[in-house]
Amino acid sequence: MSKKRKIISLAVWLSLVFASLIGVFLTDGMENSESVREIMRDAVLHESNKISLFGLLEVNPAVISAFTVTGILLVFALIVRIFVIPKFKRIPGRFQMLLEELVRFFDGLAKSNSPHRNAFLGAYIFAAGVYIFVGTIFELFGVQAVTTHGYPMALPAPLSDINAAIALGCMSYLAILSGGIAANGIKGVGKTLKEFSLPISMSFRLFGALLSGLLVTELVYYYSTLSFVLPVVVAVLFTLLHALIQTYVLTMLTSLFYGEVSEVHAPKPKKNKANAKAN
Amino acid sequence: MAIPLNIDWQQILLHVFNFVILAGGLYFLLYSPVKKFMAKRDEQYRKMDSDANEKLASASALEQQAKERLDHVEDEIMEKRVKAEAELDKYSAAQMQEANAKAEKIIADAKKTAAEERQTILNGADREILNITKTLAAKMMHANTDAAYEQFLDIAERDAQNDK
Repeated sequence: MSKKRKIISLAVWLSLVFASLIGVFLTDGMENSESVREIMRDAVLHESNKISLFGLLEVNPAVISAFTVTGILLVFALIVRIFVIPKFKRIPGRFQMLLEELVRFFDGLAKSNSPHRNAFLGAYIFAAGVYIFVGTIFELFGVQAVTTHGYPMALPAPLSDINAAIALGCMSYLAILSGGIAANGIKGVGKTLKEFSLPISMSFRLFGALLSGLLVTELVYYYSTLSFVLPVVVAVLFTLLHALIQTYVLTMLTSLFYGEVSEVHAPKPKKNKANAKAN
Repeated sequence: MAIPLNIDWQQILLHVFNFVILAGGLYFLLYSPVKKFMAKRDEQYRKMDSDANEKLASASALEQQAKERLDHVEDEIMEKRVKAEAELDKYSAAQMQEANAKAEKIIADAKKTAAEERQTILNGADREILNITKTLAAKMMHANTDAAYEQFLDIAERDAQNDK
């Protein structure tokens, strides 16, 4: 990557960070209807259990989970970058092999599904995959937080909140759209817009899959007679399986659609009317 | 307007904000350095592979050269053997000739020496015969003289006896 491209990427990234941050504060005060919240279960909608975000906002527990997961991942990445990557060897050890395999998997997925343009896609699905996997595993640890009402609660998986699933689904759609624009310009936009149901399907697939795991686990925990041994199997089954399957499904779908819209088609040959008439 | 399912734009944007930071951080801290390292190592291996292929090619060329040389070596050896045999024949013929010449010289010298010796012996024999003849003649003469003297002595003795 050239220096100019690096600066552009950094500027785009920073502008995205600031734009989303500004959006967060601009949308402060837009509240949903309380009557619907009363109907929905708190476990699904996080209606009553809100957590204060640095005293600025009251947010769903999934937002705190998301920030915690991001913090853990970034600290881990920083430690790896400072202490592990400079000591990488040509013949890798176990941890190096794990990291390389992780990067190779997402890079390979991007390359195989989008042979024309895959540098950005690889980075995006790597981040999305790691986020979904670690975020889903995160609920197994039962990290405790205090709600605004003063009750303790275990932080859920970030993507078990519909807002997180919509955010990731829409970002994936935008990533696909950016691939279409980069490769085919206006035609790419048209190609991407054809798949208008994609952000909804991606978001709800993620949300549904993770929520179903959460609900089943909640149900199992609800009955004290089922609270022995079974939760270990159920929690591990639903959490690990969902973590793996949803990681694979979202990254696979994103790279598949990205490859489809970023594919450069040769222009159709123009019909020669004069020749047609002569024939 | 109320949005169903507790969808909250602010929280969606919070998640977007969170994910953008995470994606950027992971890209700069983990994905890019690991990918760069892997690419660098792949390049190293590719270089090693091409070096090995070059070495293999040069080795096979050398092998081919050696094989060709080995094929020619048989002919070369045969040629040198023939040449050596011819030289050996020539040398042995020369040696033989020299030996014959030497032998002839030795024989001639021997014959000459033998002839000289024969001549010397013959000369010696002649002288000896002469000497013997002289001796014989002298002896014969002595014998006659002795006989006459003996006869004279006998006669004289007999005369003396007779006188008595």
